[in-house]
Amino acid sequence: MASRLIHVAAGRDAAADLAPYGAGTASPLRERTLASRGPEDRTRFRAARRAALLRERESRRYGLRRLRPAVSLSCTLALAAAALVTTNPVQSAVILVIVVTTLAASRVLRAAWPYIRVSLYIAAVVLLVNPLFAGAGLDVLWGIGVGPFRIAVTVQGVVFGVGSALRLAGVILAFSLLNLCVDPDDQLAIASRFSFRSGLVLSLAARLLPVFSRDAARIIDAQRARGVRLDDGRAHHRAALRLPLLATLLTQSLERAVDVAASMEARGYGAGRRTRWARRRRWTPTDAAALSAAVTAFAAVVVGAVAGAWSFTYFPLLGDIWSPLGDAFWLVVVAGLVIPLIVTMPWRPLPSSSR
Amino acid sequence: MAPLAVLKQVTYTYPGAARTALQTVDLTIDAAEVVLVIGGSGSGKTTLLRCLNGIVPRFHGGVFGGSVTVEGLDTRSEPSRRLARSVGLVFQDPESQSVMTGVERELAFGLENLGVPSADITRLVEEALISTGLSHLRHAPLSELSGGELQRVALAGVIAMQPRILALDEPTSQLDPVSSEDLLAAIRRLSEDTGAAIVLAEHRIERCLHLATRVVVLDQGELIRDDDPDTFARWAAIARPDWLTPIGRLFSRRPSTPKGHPPTPDGRLPFTVKDAHALLARDDSCRLIPSWHDDPPRRSSETVLSAEKLTIGYDPELPLAVGLDLTVDRGEVVALMGENGVGKSTLVKHFNGLLRPLRGRVVLGGLDVATLSVSEAARLCGYLGQNPGDYFVKESVAAEIAYSLATLDLRGERAAQLSERVIADLDLADLLERDPRGLSGGERTRAALAIVACAEPPLLVLDEPTRGVDPSHKTGLAKLLRAWAAAGRTTFVVTHDVEFAARAASRVILLGPDGILADGSPRHVLHRALFFTTQIDRLLRDVTPGALLDDEVTWEATS
Repeated sequence: MASRLIHVAAGRDAAADLAPYGAGTASPLRERTLASRGPEDRTRFRAARRAALLRERESRRYGLRRLRPAVSLSCTLALAAAALVTTNPVQSAVILVIVVTTLAASRVLRAAWPYIRVSLYIAAVVLLVNPLFAGAGLDVLWGIGVGPFRIAVTVQGVVFGVGSALRLAGVILAFSLLNLCVDPDDQLAIASRFSFRSGLVLSLAARLLPVFSRDAARIIDAQRARGVRLDDGRAHHRAALRLPLLATLLTQSLERAVDVAASMEARGYGAGRRTRWARRRRWTPTDAAALSAAVTAFAAVVVGAVAGAWSFTYFPLLGDIWSPLGDAFWLVVVAGLVIPLIVTMPWRPLPSSSR
Repeated sequence: MAPLAVLKQVTYTYPGAARTALQTVDLTIDAAEVVLVIGGSGSGKTTLLRCLNGIVPRFHGGVFGGSVTVEGLDTRSEPSRRLARSVGLVFQDPESQSVMTGVERELAFGLENLGVPSADITRLVEEALISTGLSHLRHAPLSELSGGELQRVALAGVIAMQPRILALDEPTSQLDPVSSEDLLAAIRRLSEDTGAAIVLAEHRIERCLHLATRVVVLDQGELIRDDDPDTFARWAAIARPDWLTPIGRLFSRRPSTPKGHPPTPDGRLPFTVKDAHALLARDDSCRLIPSWHDDPPRRSSETVLSAEKLTIGYDPELPLAVGLDLTVDRGEVVALMGENGVGKSTLVKHFNGLLRPLRGRVVLGGLDVATLSVSEAARLCGYLGQNPGDYFVKESVAAEIAYSLATLDLRGERAAQLSERVIADLDLADLLERDPRGLSGGERTRAALAIVACAEPPLLVLDEPTRGVDPSHKTGLAKLLRAWAAAGRTTFVVTHDVEFAARAASRVILLGPDGILADGSPRHVLHRALFFTTQIDRLLRDVTPGALLDDEVTWEATS
């Protein structure tokens, strides 16, 4: 019973519980202060500290995570749209830099590593394959005849490969921002304004990769713990050892899917109109500024696309790479994508959204 | 008053299943009742609970006969939304029933489905958080919660919906003793305050028999008993003593009464310490004398595992334990206990290198674990995690055991010998050709245990091996660990089950937020503890100090 009371007290007013000990983080001095108190005090302190850390993590968000979910989503979509439409390799590179900077500013760069790795793999393939098969350029760097076929690597083909790789990486990482900066529950809440079912499907699909990764890591751990040497030998041997794990992973995923579906059914899902619930969040000047910028950037992307501002010629000769950088549409897009970064910087005095 | 739920001649077979999960079950549940459903693994407890809210057969399909009505509504024809208002179901595995990713949203999910107005949801979510002691975790992502915390979230999500019947499938299986008592007390309060009926499927009968107003016993899908707790106890004392509470078992052995009759003056077997104290005070014709012997000293000075100045955790700013020193000797059965989320599972994952310490080191069989890969450490330390399903990659239990042995380069005669031994030890002969993924919860645990134990590693680490395991197999496992210890094998068990720890362990370690709180023989650590102790110790701590189990004391006539 004591434990429950502690939990309740900790939840009710964690800050008040922590007040006698100072702030919510540990320090040797505070630990010593605690050591001089009774064990119940220490347990109480630790429960309160966990609550305080959770609160702190909630309030100390960075980059896009500081914004209201709908605003973060708008910024992400503007970035993705910009990455998708730009074909000029320099513009694609600039968008990619903005996306990566946004990931870093939101303190999710490390969490984005799986997406970065996928981007690198795909970019590498595109980079290698495109020059070999896009031989319509005139400036031949290197050529070889294989029977009746002739492969010519041209300057235009190489630049096209680089441009495509940058563009793909930009799109993939922009969508990774969505997963990492907008809570899946918030994504669902936004989507459910239009259609809860579709939102739920999207939300569950977005969670698939992290859940799969976690399950796979657990299964791999279990196999290693029984002595299976998953990392020894040649690639085909490793693949052969890992292949059966896929069946286990799929079985578990199916079991989980059935359990989740049963749980949803048991809690009345899918039979009638739902209400929507979310903790109220205040609109802040930061949100307003970021949303305005994102909407402006998105509009510039769309209008620019209609006006043909994003087209770039690769073949047979490269178009002018540099002159589009002075284009008005481009400058508006860049400004619209960078402003959310600036207004969410920690040094900005603007307050963040709070619960 | 009309009953809340009526099951008439319910027979059910899951799609593709060879045998029926429920066989002509008749049951009536009234308001404010607490119905305890007990039975062995695979006896149909979970299916019975799922019948109550209609997901059997509506969701699972299969062949269904008979009828289930809840508040007068037929569960086969009524929409799930209406039934969800009447019956709240908490599943056995809390990890796979969460839909959302945050605690508050998870609690709100059911209420949103019911169309509850947003303002009311805020209030109900808050009340559910407080009643289950989760307020401090309101902002936590579910992925960061321990199993016990997830179990409380699942319960809170259902409590918030205020159902008339609350069906709980092993709700305390992942909870520490304190949290279990809190949870069960909260459930009882809910029943008393709102008149809700509670249907509780549990293996740890000592935790909840005293709360029950009725006990239903299932055996291979058939409902074989539907009694009040006293009648059940009288039956169980003769037919199934392992389904009684330890105190009930103790008093059922009181002498000088004809067999088959309760050996207490008023004809009732006590379930709780309070009842038993009253009985002992009232009737002094018999007394209890200790029949246990002092714990033998540690078997060996050969160290199997040692941890030096170990700091563990995932966040260096918030380590779970700092500077742990620990030594495990050959032939010990060590039970590690402690509050939910204190770091027990995290600690044991350091023993075979699944996790690396923040500071300090672990030495396994004389080798620094940091220098070994996990698969190399497997020769010295078998590890069974909380999810047995992670171990199954073959199509039969026999193939799994063979694969484990081959992986550790054990073949031929030796492998056959080891395989035979583990199959006999874990009573797996009937399951050998079965697909391990199709086994019931308790059977899965035994199969996975065989996978990690078949090579007889010097150290075996088991994380919650009694989860979902019925009392008879639990007692069997305790005996087995003792036998393995006698043969020089060492086991380190993480468990919340105090009775199991007292029966199986030669040493108990209590882990707290400040590190190891107590370390010694079960008698040393559990005796006179507040919550982390057995029913028998609570009853007899002043009568036969040191007795932890009902078979450690005997009755003697006083005159």
